[in-house]
Amino acid sequence: MATTDRAHPRAAADAPEAAVEPQVGSLRFVNIAKSYGAVHALEDVSFEVRPGLTGIVGDNGAGKSTLMKLLSGVISPTSGSIELDGRAIEISTPTKARALGIESLYQDLALAETLDIPSNVFLGRELTSRVLGVKTLAHKQMMTATRQALSEVNIRIPDVSQPVRSLSGGQRQAVALARAIYFGAPVVLLDEPTAALGPRETAAVNDMIARLVALGRMVIVVTHDIPHIAKAADRIVVLRAGRVVRELASHEADQESLLAFMVGVST
Amino acid sequence: MIGVARRFTSLAVLLALIAFFSAFAPGFNTTISWVNILGATSLFLLIAFGETLVMIAGGIDLSVGSMSALGGVVGATYMSSHSDGGASYVFIGLVLGLLVGAAGGALNGALISYLGLSPLIVTLGTYGAFLGFANLISDGRPVANLPAGAFTLGNGTFLKVPYTLWIALGVVIVLAWMMRNTRFGRYTYAVGSNKEATRRAGVNLNRQTILLYGLAGTLAGFAGVLTAVHFESASSSQGTEVLLVAIAAVVIGGTPLTGGEGSVWGTVIGALVYTILQNGFVLMGFSSYWQLVVLGVIIIAAVYSDDVQRNLQSKLGNKRELEILSPDPVEGGAAGR
Repeated sequence: MATTDRAHPRAAADAPEAAVEPQVGSLRFVNIAKSYGAVHALEDVSFEVRPGLTGIVGDNGAGKSTLMKLLSGVISPTSGSIELDGRAIEISTPTKARALGIESLYQDLALAETLDIPSNVFLGRELTSRVLGVKTLAHKQMMTATRQALSEVNIRIPDVSQPVRSLSGGQRQAVALARAIYFGAPVVLLDEPTAALGPRETAAVNDMIARLVALGRMVIVVTHDIPHIAKAADRIVVLRAGRVVRELASHEADQESLLAFMVGVST
Repeated sequence: MIGVARRFTSLAVLLALIAFFSAFAPGFNTTISWVNILGATSLFLLIAFGETLVMIAGGIDLSVGSMSALGGVVGATYMSSHSDGGASYVFIGLVLGLLVGAAGGALNGALISYLGLSPLIVTLGTYGAFLGFANLISDGRPVANLPAGAFTLGNGTFLKVPYTLWIALGVVIVLAWMMRNTRFGRYTYAVGSNKEATRRAGVNLNRQTILLYGLAGTLAGFAGVLTAVHFESASSSQGTEVLLVAIAAVVIGGTPLTGGEGSVWGTVIGALVYTILQNGFVLMGFSSYWQLVVLGVIIIAAVYSDDVQRNLQSKLGNKRELEILSPDPVEGGAAGR
C-alpha cells in the first residue's frame, strides 16, 4: 500500500476513482495591496472567485502576475487579506499554498527537465512503500496514477517514462496539470497556459482546462488570449494599473468591451 | 534514454581500450594485471562516487581530495598510536576517518545552503582548510606504523579480488539503489535538473544539500583510510591528484557538469577507463608523464561527445503534439455546459 507523508485525498483512498472531488466555495481578495517601495503593483483589490473558470485579464503591468504570485505564496501582500471559504488564510510560502489546496502552474512551468513524467507529477510528494523498513519510491503506483490523472483530462502521452525535456509545450502543460488533478487541488492557478503553443495544442490545453472546470474545480487563468477567455470563462476580472476596473459575468463579456476596459477607453 | 546512450558510448570506449591494450600491451590481459587495475580503481572510485552524486545535483566538490587526505591522516594517526593493536583498532580508525569526512562534508553543505554560496567557492576554501588540518595533524610527515590488521584490510583478497574492490562494489550497489529508489536520490536529480522547481515543490533544499555533501565527504574520508591501509601509510599529499582523477571518472562516465542526470555505474566505467589507460601505458613503456596529458584530452573529448549527442537527441527528439483521447472536446468550457 502506497503512503505519503502529506495528506491528500487520493492516496488515502483505496479506490482512487471513488474519491470525491475536492471543492472550495469561494476565494476572496479583501482590500489587497502590494507595493514595492513607491511602486504600487496592486491597490485596493477586492473581488471574489467561485468554482468555475475565472479569467484575469489586463495589459502588461496591470498586476496580473503579482496577483498570481500572492496566491501561490511567492510573495505576501503589503496589506489586505485573502479568504478561503470565509476564513482568512496566510499564504506565506509555495508549500503553504499547496497545503491549502492551491496549485499553481507557473509561466516557466517549473518542471524538472531531465526527470520523467511521474517524477515531475509527484515531485516533493512521492508515493512510497516500506521495503525492509526503508521508505522506497513506489514507481509503479506513481506511473499508473500519472496515466490516470492524464486520462481524466482526456490526454494520452504514449510513454510517461520519457524525460520531460523531450515533450512538446502542450504535453508539458498536461504534466503540470496532472499534478493539480492527482492531488485534488480545489484551486488551480494557470499563468498564460497557452502563450507559447501552436493552434492545435492551444485547443487541446483549453479543452483540458474545460475538463478541469467540469470536475468542479476553481480554475483561475491569467491570459492574453482575450477571444478565448471571453467565450470560455464564467467570470472575468479586468485589471488596469493595479486596480480591478471591472468584473464581468460570461454573458456580459465580449471581446471588444474587454479590450476597451483593459486599455481604459471605457471605465 | 540519453543517459543510456551515453553509458554505451563510454562502455564502447572502455571495451575498445581493453581490446587495444590486450593486443599491444604485453601482459595486460593477465590476472595479476587485472587485480592491479581493479585494486587501484577501487581506491579512488569511492571518492568519485561522492563526486558523482554532487555533480548530478548540479554542484561540484573540490574538497574531496584533501578530505580524503584528512580522513586518512586522522584514521592512520589513531591506528599508528595502537600499532600492535588488533582488528578493533583498525575498525575504529576506519570509523574515525568516516566521521571526519561526514563532518567536513556536512560543513560544506551547510556553508553552501545557509550562506547561499557557490559550491565551487566553498569547496575551494575547504579544500585548503582540510589540507591544512591534515598537515597540522601529521606535522606534514607520512603517518606509518599501522597495525598488522590494516595491511590485511588494504591488501587482502577474497576470491582473488581485493577487499577494497568488494567494498567499492558494495558501495556502488547501495548507492545505485538509493539513487533510484529513495526520495534522497530523486531529489538529488531534481535539484540538478531544476532547483527552483524542486524548492517550489516543497523539498527542504538545505537538508538535501547537507546530506548530499555530507555523504560525499563520508565517502572521501572512507576512501582516505582505505588508501592509508593499502599503502600502510597516510600522508596529506595523498589527495592532491585524486580530485582530477575523480572528476575525470565522473565526466567520462556520462554525468554532465550541468547536473540532473548521470549514474554511479557510469562512473565505474569512467574510472576503469582511466586506470586501464594508466596500466596499459605503463605496460607499453610510455612515460608516465603522458598519462595526465592523455587524461586531459579524454575529459575534453568525453564532454564534447556528450554535447554532440545531446544536440543530436534534441534535433531527432520525439516531440509530438498533445494527443487528445476522445475526438469531441468539451464545447467552449464551463460557459458552454
